[in-house]
Amino acid sequence: MSLSRATPGRLGGGAPREADLPLRQSWRARWREWGPGYMLVAPAVVLILLMMLYPVLQTLYFSVSRVQLPSFRTTFVGLDNFARILSSPDTLPLAQRTLVWVAGIVVFRISLGLAAALVFNARVPGTVWLRALVILPWTIPSVVGANLWRWIFQTDSGVLNQSLRAWGLESWALNWLGSPDTAMLAVIVAYGWAGFPFVMLLILARLQGVPQELYEAARIDGANAWQLFRYITLPSLKSVLVVALILEIVSGLNSFDTLVIMTGGGPAKATQIWGLEIYKTGFGAFNLGVASALSVLMFIAVLVVFVFYGAASRAAQRQRREGLA
Amino acid sequence: MSLAADAPAGRLRAAVDPPRRRTLRQLLRVWGHRLLIWTLAFAFVAFSLLPLAWGVSTALKTKEAVYAFPPVWIPSPATLENFAAVFANPALFSSFLNTLVIALATTAIALVVGVLGAYGFSRYRFPGRDTLLWSLLFTKLFPRVVVIVPFFVTLRWLDLMNTYPGLVLVYLMAIFPVAIWMLKGFFDNIPIEIEEAAIMDGCSLPQLLWLVVIPISRPALAAVAMYSFIIAWNEFLFALVFTNGLSRRPLSVALAFFIDENGIRWGELMAASIVMSLPALVVFSIAQKMLVRGLSEGAVKG
Repeated sequence: MSLSRATPGRLGGGAPREADLPLRQSWRARWREWGPGYMLVAPAVVLILLMMLYPVLQTLYFSVSRVQLPSFRTTFVGLDNFARILSSPDTLPLAQRTLVWVAGIVVFRISLGLAAALVFNARVPGTVWLRALVILPWTIPSVVGANLWRWIFQTDSGVLNQSLRAWGLESWALNWLGSPDTAMLAVIVAYGWAGFPFVMLLILARLQGVPQELYEAARIDGANAWQLFRYITLPSLKSVLVVALILEIVSGLNSFDTLVIMTGGGPAKATQIWGLEIYKTGFGAFNLGVASALSVLMFIAVLVVFVFYGAASRAAQRQRREGLA
Repeated sequence: MSLAADAPAGRLRAAVDPPRRRTLRQLLRVWGHRLLIWTLAFAFVAFSLLPLAWGVSTALKTKEAVYAFPPVWIPSPATLENFAAVFANPALFSSFLNTLVIALATTAIALVVGVLGAYGFSRYRFPGRDTLLWSLLFTKLFPRVVVIVPFFVTLRWLDLMNTYPGLVLVYLMAIFPVAIWMLKGFFDNIPIEIEEAAIMDGCSLPQLLWLVVIPISRPALAAVAMYSFIIAWNEFLFALVFTNGLSRRPLSVALAFFIDENGIRWGELMAASIVMSLPALVVFSIAQKMLVRGLSEGAVKG
């Protein structure tokens, strides 16, 4: 820290350090010290302004406006857009479906990812190259994965139903993507499949840092496999599991490709989640005001997750520091 | 330390004692454990690979064989006619070119912005630096669906709808924060002394970047380039919202709506999907090594 703090002075070609400068230093001296830094980060700053600050302000502004297309003339309407969303009978089911979707994704990906990480961390010969194969679903483009599962779940010709029929389980061959009862389950399986290897890699990286001596000591004390997992493995995974949880919640809220391609939000809106509603309101119905209000609401949800993430990571750090002390 | 000391002793003991000394019970336990792990590992492999295998199998089948009952996993006769049809399809070919142009341009710009920004954040202290770093992190977690409306307005206003520059601009949003973070982590680990020596020799800042920093950071730059390329290659939402018609449509959107008057030709769709997946597969298999090397080698190499 101190090393790099001293750098600007040195890199600035002998400009005096911050502390040495008189209180009313000249602009020239300041520029010599800070100028190169600002110039270097300028493109990034432009992108931040354009890609984060401006969109936020624009969305906030549109959310309290009625936007006329194609001129984009706006009329201030106060909280009308929000009132319309909150009073709509469709909103509660929409929020519930979004919750089911996010919870389904999180449970599916983290439980499979954790199980796979434990299996591939067992250091049994011959499992290293199997691990490389398990990662494949995570590497293919999401569009490809979604189309693949759409093909597998086809009612008449999909391999799932054809196999079930071939095995004499005719009654199990359901209209997976076409029936509101099973569509959500089907898309969760497809999206979970594409993402669990990432969780596995996250957890594996952490597991390999757990000192083996802990396990040996516990085994000598007569601990069984479950106790080893419960009292050594799980506590050391706490922080990485929180990270995985947050990332998967954001990923679930953010997901779009898989749902649009596999079901388009149907049947009968059974897989329509918040993000799809924004897209359809904005670019199907071209109601940019309501779409922006929906965006603001979702944005608040993500902000809550972000704050929670900050608190959780700080708690994890504190825990680690106390553990070391 | 203790492990290193124990290992030779253990090997010595194993050499002296015949391996038969292991009791049957111990053997059973070791092999029982292995069998359990292998079974579970194979179950995970099956779950990961069977869908992919079915896609590959479909791509290699004739039109009639695709719908055979009961399902056939190994196509006989295997055919490349689906791949031939994909390569002969002018709309798919132009979308392939679109994706290539956009992904390459996005990668190039992300590298430039990334190197400059990361170097600035890593080596300089200036007011507002922490705020900017937090904003970067936040931009990374920013949900994309939330920004499609304002981006749509911006692109309309800049008259960049359905153009390469417009698409590159919006793709950058998903990429440049990560590029800066990855490179900043790398630069933080490069010893400052090399740069100081270069300054003593009279290097200007652009020369310093071009002649010293960039050559040292090659592994990290490669990792960032690959990451950017793949994200841009796979991007779907922005591509869907900010293009219309065929002229600028990337491959991801083309595959998502791969339907003609006869319905979906699954064989061709799967063949095109394999073609689209290849760059990602290649890059992932190289980039994993690159990432590790980029992170571990950087500090020592100078």
